[in-house]
Amino acid sequence: MAEVEAVRVRAGGTLILDDVSARFQPGRFNVILGPNGAGKSTLLKVATGLLRPSAGEVRYEGRPVSTFTPEALARKRAVLSQHVELAFPLPVQDVVMMGRYPHFRRAPSARDREIVDRALEIVGLDARRTQPYSTLSGGEQQKVQLARVLAQIWNYDDAGEHRLLFLDEPTTSLDIHYQIHLLDIARDLLNHNCTVIAVLHDLNIALHYGDAFFVLDGGRLVHEADRAESIPTELIERVYRVKAYRVEDPANSQALWRFAL
Amino acid sequence: MLKRLSHGQIHLLLGILLVAALIASAGIGAFTFTPGNMVRYLGEMFGWVPAAAAADELGRNVFLKLRLPRVLLAGLTGAVLSVSGTMMQGLFRNPIVEPGLVGTSAGAALGAAAVFVFGSDSALALARPLGSLGVPVAAFIGAFGATVLVYRLSTSFGKVNVFTLLLAGIAVNAVCAAGTGFLSYIARDPQARNITFWNLGTFTTADWRGVTLVGTFFVVCFLWSLRYGKALNALMLGENEAAFLGMEPQKLIWRLLVVNTIMVAVATAMVGVIAFVGLAVPHLLRLLKSPDYTFLLPASAIMGALLMEGIDITARIIIPPAELPIGIITAVVGAPIFLAILLRNQGSGAAGFYG
Repeated sequence: MAEVEAVRVRAGGTLILDDVSARFQPGRFNVILGPNGAGKSTLLKVATGLLRPSAGEVRYEGRPVSTFTPEALARKRAVLSQHVELAFPLPVQDVVMMGRYPHFRRAPSARDREIVDRALEIVGLDARRTQPYSTLSGGEQQKVQLARVLAQIWNYDDAGEHRLLFLDEPTTSLDIHYQIHLLDIARDLLNHNCTVIAVLHDLNIALHYGDAFFVLDGGRLVHEADRAESIPTELIERVYRVKAYRVEDPANSQALWRFAL
Repeated sequence: MLKRLSHGQIHLLLGILLVAALIASAGIGAFTFTPGNMVRYLGEMFGWVPAAAAADELGRNVFLKLRLPRVLLAGLTGAVLSVSGTMMQGLFRNPIVEPGLVGTSAGAALGAAAVFVFGSDSALALARPLGSLGVPVAAFIGAFGATVLVYRLSTSFGKVNVFTLLLAGIAVNAVCAAGTGFLSYIARDPQARNITFWNLGTFTTADWRGVTLVGTFFVVCFLWSLRYGKALNALMLGENEAAFLGMEPQKLIWRLLVVNTIMVAVATAMVGVIAFVGLAVPHLLRLLKSPDYTFLLPASAIMGALLMEGIDITARIIIPPAELPIGIITAVVGAPIFLAILLRNQGSGAAGFYG
């Protein structure tokens, strides 16, 4: 389990995160919600161990992240961010193999290669493995990055300890097909000894995929919920400064939101 | 065609070409030596065979004291500049960075020129206790100062801004060049000649001391750099992504800057400023095979040495009995090739440099 406790982040005199504590539920799709500037990305940076908080602590399975070596941390959690561009024409399979870097020293083992193959199959790009990354479309490039983070923490026999996948608005700038494909794959990881912790751009998508919600506003955690339905409409209206209407999805009678100013 | 070969096979192929180039380079020049002669001289040097008749004394001296160190120093310098270019391009995630661009070479030249002018008999001869190391040490100080200045100017919040980097490089290079120019202006004639030579790069002053010095630093720095192939690959994704993969980008950057500066400063102190090689070699290797740094680092060492032998042979035979400065050839031959590569690849896709 990943947890942040009493985390404060101060940058240049302003408090970006103010005493945030959260326990990200193991085996669930945890979603961090909130308007622009609420501190979502900062919270994610702290939770991944990239940013050291001014106060407070982040723990994985009860152990402070500051006590992990960088390699051990990389075997424990992976992070998929927004679009990554490469200045050099690296083949797709070489990019995915980077996910295995924390697992081998000099040359990849047969198992590392096997995992890269499987990860490419999962995202449906095994046919394009030798193609240069830069020649793929934006959506395909993001699938390659997904395969890379899968290769980093996932393995086909679910061996090893529990692992964490962080998503930092990975679907921004992807069309709806790629968004759904990517998030479906991420959600499937929940069945493979992994936990997902995500910041997502689209509120309806976030509510659809999430099964634990953390609402941030002004650097503070203002609400936690286990179900999308139990997030109060007034809260959404207040933090996002919109009018929100709940409608029913005719396909599966799940809640959908419509927004207006 | 080369794309189908494995990394190891390409290393081997380049290695074979390098051996051929070394033999050619050792044989060609004002004195011509056959491979048979070379083997005999080497045998004599190491005491494997008894020294031949005194009639051959001149040939042997030319080969062992002038030609051989020159050939080796040229190869080592090519390797140093190319490995440095490869590391720098990895660090800055940009294919146009090289030691000449980020101030390393110009800073080294300034440091070394200061020793040339002040070092021999003035009160400023701080480097004198260091004996023969005076020039390289001053070159390192200059090179490191210039490189760190460029790096600092182009870095904000832990990230390198490429455009600021280029502009800072231009400015720092200009300041160093002005300093070197000033020193050659106030220098007495022989010193000034030294400095002028040096700004264009030359192997005519090669000796065993230089070979030992450059060779030692190169081997140590190169072997050390091989450990960072994976980290440089990960850095292609960006500093944050590299950190998520278990690398420590900030530590890596500082270590590579220091090691890179040591290598380039020592080589520059011996042979002067040679631009373009550090830019072209990694570039060509990426086009030929792969931008994977675990491949590029060793490959650029071999190919850099290979290319420099070719350039040095040209320098020796093009206007006999005189010699052309190395820097002129690297610029005249290299820049058009570089532009051709650039233009050819520009048309073939959005990826710019490599398409």
